[in-house]
Amino acid sequence: MTQPLLQIRDLHIAFTSGKKDVPAVRGVDLTVYPGQTVAIVGESGSGKSTTAHAVIDLLPGTGHVTAGSIEFDGVDLMKLGGRRRRSYRGDRIGLVPQDPMSNLNPLYRVGAQIKEVLEVNDVARGKAADRRVVELLEEAGLGDAEARAKQYPHEYSGGMRQRALIAAGLAARPQLLIADEPTSALDVTVQKQILDHLDGLTDELGVAVLLITHDLGLAAERADHLVVMYKGQVVESGPALQILRDPQHPYSQRLISSAPSLRSRRLAASERAEVREEATEAALEVAEDTIAEASEFGGEATGPVIRATDLTKVFKLPGKGFSKRDFTAVDSVSFALERGTTTAIVGESGSGKSTVARMVLDLLEPTSGTVEFDGVDVGSIRTRAQQLDFRRRVQPVFQNPYASLDPMYSIYRSIEEPLRLHGVGTGKERERKIRDLLDKVSLPGAVMSRYPNELSGGQRQRVAIARALALDPEVVVLDEAVSALDVLVQAQILKLLNDLQAELGLSYLFITHDLAVVRQIADQVLVMQKGRVVEQAGSLEVFDHPREEYTKRLLAAIPGRSVEPAS
Amino acid sequence: MWRYIARRLLQTIPVVLGSTLLIYAMVFLQPGDPIVALFGEKPVSEATRAQLMAQYNLDQPFIVQWLLFLKGALVGDFGIAYSGQPVSELIARALPVTFQLAVMALIFEAVLGVVAGFYAGLRRGKIFDSTMLVVSLIVIAVPIFVLGFMMQLVFGIQLQWVPATVGSNTSFTNMILPALVLGLVSFAYVLRLTRTSVIENLTADHVRTARAHGVPDGMVNRRHVLRNSMIPVVTFLGADLGALMAGAVVTEGIFNINGIGNLAYQAILRGENPTVVSVVTVMVIIYVVTSLLVDLLYAVLDPRIRYA
Amino acid sequence: MPETTSLPGQTHFVAPSSETPLQATGMVDTSAPPEGQWKEAWKVLRRNWLFWVSAILLLFILVVVCFPGLFTGVDPRQSMLSKSLQGPQSGHPFGFDKQGYDVYSRVVYGARASVVVGLLTTVIVTVIGLFTGAVAGFFGRWVDALVSRIADIFFAIPLLLAAIVGLSALNNVWPDRGYWGGVLAVVFALAAFGWPQVTRIARGAVLEIRGLEFVDASRAIGASKWRNLFSHIIPNSLAPVIVTATVSLGVYIVAEATLSFLGIGLPPSIVSWGNDIAAAQSQVRSGDNLHVLFAPAGALAVTVLSFMLLGDAVRDALDPKARK
Repeated sequence: MTQPLLQIRDLHIAFTSGKKDVPAVRGVDLTVYPGQTVAIVGESGSGKSTTAHAVIDLLPGTGHVTAGSIEFDGVDLMKLGGRRRRSYRGDRIGLVPQDPMSNLNPLYRVGAQIKEVLEVNDVARGKAADRRVVELLEEAGLGDAEARAKQYPHEYSGGMRQRALIAAGLAARPQLLIADEPTSALDVTVQKQILDHLDGLTDELGVAVLLITHDLGLAAERADHLVVMYKGQVVESGPALQILRDPQHPYSQRLISSAPSLRSRRLAASERAEVREEATEAALEVAEDTIAEASEFGGEATGPVIRATDLTKVFKLPGKGFSKRDFTAVDSVSFALERGTTTAIVGESGSGKSTVARMVLDLLEPTSGTVEFDGVDVGSIRTRAQQLDFRRRVQPVFQNPYASLDPMYSIYRSIEEPLRLHGVGTGKERERKIRDLLDKVSLPGAVMSRYPNELSGGQRQRVAIARALALDPEVVVLDEAVSALDVLVQAQILKLLNDLQAELGLSYLFITHDLAVVRQIADQVLVMQKGRVVEQAGSLEVFDHPREEYTKRLLAAIPGRSVEPAS
Repeated sequence: MWRYIARRLLQTIPVVLGSTLLIYAMVFLQPGDPIVALFGEKPVSEATRAQLMAQYNLDQPFIVQWLLFLKGALVGDFGIAYSGQPVSELIARALPVTFQLAVMALIFEAVLGVVAGFYAGLRRGKIFDSTMLVVSLIVIAVPIFVLGFMMQLVFGIQLQWVPATVGSNTSFTNMILPALVLGLVSFAYVLRLTRTSVIENLTADHVRTARAHGVPDGMVNRRHVLRNSMIPVVTFLGADLGALMAGAVVTEGIFNINGIGNLAYQAILRGENPTVVSVVTVMVIIYVVTSLLVDLLYAVLDPRIRYA
Repeated sequence: MPETTSLPGQTHFVAPSSETPLQATGMVDTSAPPEGQWKEAWKVLRRNWLFWVSAILLLFILVVVCFPGLFTGVDPRQSMLSKSLQGPQSGHPFGFDKQGYDVYSRVVYGARASVVVGLLTTVIVTVIGLFTGAVAGFFGRWVDALVSRIADIFFAIPLLLAAIVGLSALNNVWPDRGYWGGVLAVVFALAAFGWPQVTRIARGAVLEIRGLEFVDASRAIGASKWRNLFSHIIPNSLAPVIVTATVSLGVYIVAEATLSFLGIGLPPSIVSWGNDIAAAQSQVRSGDNLHVLFAPAGALAVTVLSFMLLGDAVRDALDPKARK
């Protein structure tokens, strides 16, 4: 019988606020055996990272353990003094932190930072350490490691930095590696490469891994044992596949049913078809009404509402000497958005997808190519009346729920701003409209007097949607609108968007990096890579029969695909 | 890098031109007789008058006067002072004294400010931190001439550790007290800046990660916290050299030091306008050059900054 | 499904659902009253005792500035030469200076000039700096280049030297300017060269806000650039500017005193702390009669200190990093 490597018993952690202790972790039990991978899964605020930080005695701010024991290799770490406790760091318990951008010291060469780990843990010194650094970087999958060691972190891409952090975390050959959301800041394809590599490496070295993640699919794919946390407590734990296939606790059940990557494809497709049917019908009515009302735009009720033709955006970047270098962010992108449907643009960072969104919104002028709205070239709009009409009918919802509302405006003022600007109704009518809009996005009328800082991310995103809908638009451009949200909230907002589309006949341009959510909302999919459209097809087609290599790679990288649960 | 330097130099041209024009206008563009403006209400003979008009280009339009001044300044010719000496000579004599004073002050504020700020930041909220904060506030709040005067009184006159005034003997020991006084306010700023920066860096992700990798606390504080906190501090110190030289006017007054501040101040009181304009021009150039150097220093300290 | 044999401590565990009841995702807490950013800052401020100390001191100083007659019945310009340099005595708590003026009375009456210079200069500098910085940061390109270069021109001349030159120029064109004229001259001289500092801070703040998504959202509903600037961008960039303003208020008070000390600030006829400190210097050469120096210097230091402390407290309250 092997002994547990890490055994946490009844761990309680609290943060001091004022004079009170606010509990963050309540009675967590957790066991990791040598060589095993155990994942803690939970949403933000569930206490998963706090638990991990307690193990290496690096709780942030006022956090402190109030009760319980943390046994490592048979020694209760809680009973050790500061110095002996710290001696466990690095060579017995390693860490791969969350955000590769902020976890390397920007002022030192990467090699020097890994060398530091070797030296303080008495693994190697001087020249020997230098040689070892190169080996470790190679081991972490960095090519040309000798040159890379001499570079600074800012010369690395996000994926490379994460590889360097893995090299540092494993440098002193710990028995346990805490991997705290090691890839959540990276593109999916990079995420997969790095996790595959980490898996291989820890297997080979026999290192146990405590994986912290919000992504259930990823956890199930990578871990032997799952611990699901909710509001500081463990609600369910057990063998990964067992929990995934047969969750017992209502929270785990909800988490699994909400995870876009784990949802049944057929179910998503049939739900989507229903939405589309209702939405196109509603959209047709809206379009006919608008034409009857003599809008500023021509167009016919049957044509696409947005048509982009050969959209290209070239940015001037400083080049060598005094010259400028052209950077083509978007390269001849064409697509059509039919009324009452959703077109998704999918791509990784730097693919140019958001630039397309900004051009469609007329927030950025295309270098060449056109965006037609209702048959009229948006670039040719000259009169203020026509401009306001376009603005009224095409509205955005942005990614960051913390930056998309003016923090100085109350929710009421935020939603009222478009109405006021377009001179819609009297004060009383506007108030009624705002109540109505809040109701549509399932928020109580009481939030009107609140300010953005008092609302959660999901609530803010609802407000942003209400604001976008205030002028009864026909097109809504959703730029990564659900990307920053926790899984459960994300599922809710996606459902809300579908309901609104069916009810109001909205047309969505849905920008995302996450292929998994696409099939729940999109009818048409554009896959973009480095400014170009590499594949364009119906949503089912893309998922079932991807033609391009890049699309296949994106699909394969969706975590949890290999462990699709029985539906 | 070279492109950046070239661009920065190009940018400084309008700044130098504009600043000198501004000063020139304030000093010379005044109603009334320019000779009176230049030399006060003394009766001047016609012949002298004509000679002065020609010497200071007063018969020329204002802009031409300024351009001629600039032309001279480019080759180090700032004209003749009231006393008959070339202004450039006066400046050449006074500038090294002030430079010595400013550099001594800079070293004092840098060493003490950084050390005190670092320990205050590490022991945030403890007694040392609170004491340092109070000290820095008092130093900023009490005018420098009061502090300088008190220090002169205590150390120079009563304890007689150092001479109370400096005069022409600008030896190192003689300049210690004036340098301390001059650097006092900046010391308070350096202390506060270092402290804030240290507190911020203590919670940086990479600092926590270094601890997680087993790097001992003392080493983390020195290598990661202190080193990273130095960037804004060094930027401040670099820009402060110019400010110290310009601000030396009060200190030089208290301790009777014949530096550039005293020169400018006396010239203003006596209405020696060519000297005033010249000294301010020199100060502007010093400011412009030091801020360019600070920007370049920034690139050395922070590898992320690459001026393209 | 094959049941994996679990190791001790890893058996399938399910918490009773009564223990962690599921909450509806996205509930709104409507129990507390609504709070905007400023209200929240006020809440932080209210708990800071340094804020209260400085606020009460400043309030008191403001009363002294407005109604000096409430605090002394002695005329600050009434010379009692027979009492020259006498120490504190009944009815004259700070004694007399060389001219036989009552030092306490002069400290009370001297507050006005010093504080008004500080306040007015700060207001002017903040208004000019905020506007120029906001326009430069928001419009960018050539507007930014132009504003930034002009600000550089004024910034490149050291404040103290520039103010000395400016004041001596003003002396020529505006020789007899009375009390308020004298005060205004110092204000102009300091403000003319002080605004670029605020411009830089406001510009930086606007650059940060300009890129945020709510600005784009506002553009997307058809709001004009100027509307966006005044209703979204400037209000959101105010915090750092306010902090700078409170701190620089103290700095300008010290600058006024320094100019007066150099004999070029306020004319000697104006009763001010700076003038009195300057005059005191020659009267306490050897360490006697220190009361003549300490009274005005102490009053000035307390005033400046109060503004600094207020600035610190306001920064702590407004700094987003200090909050959650």
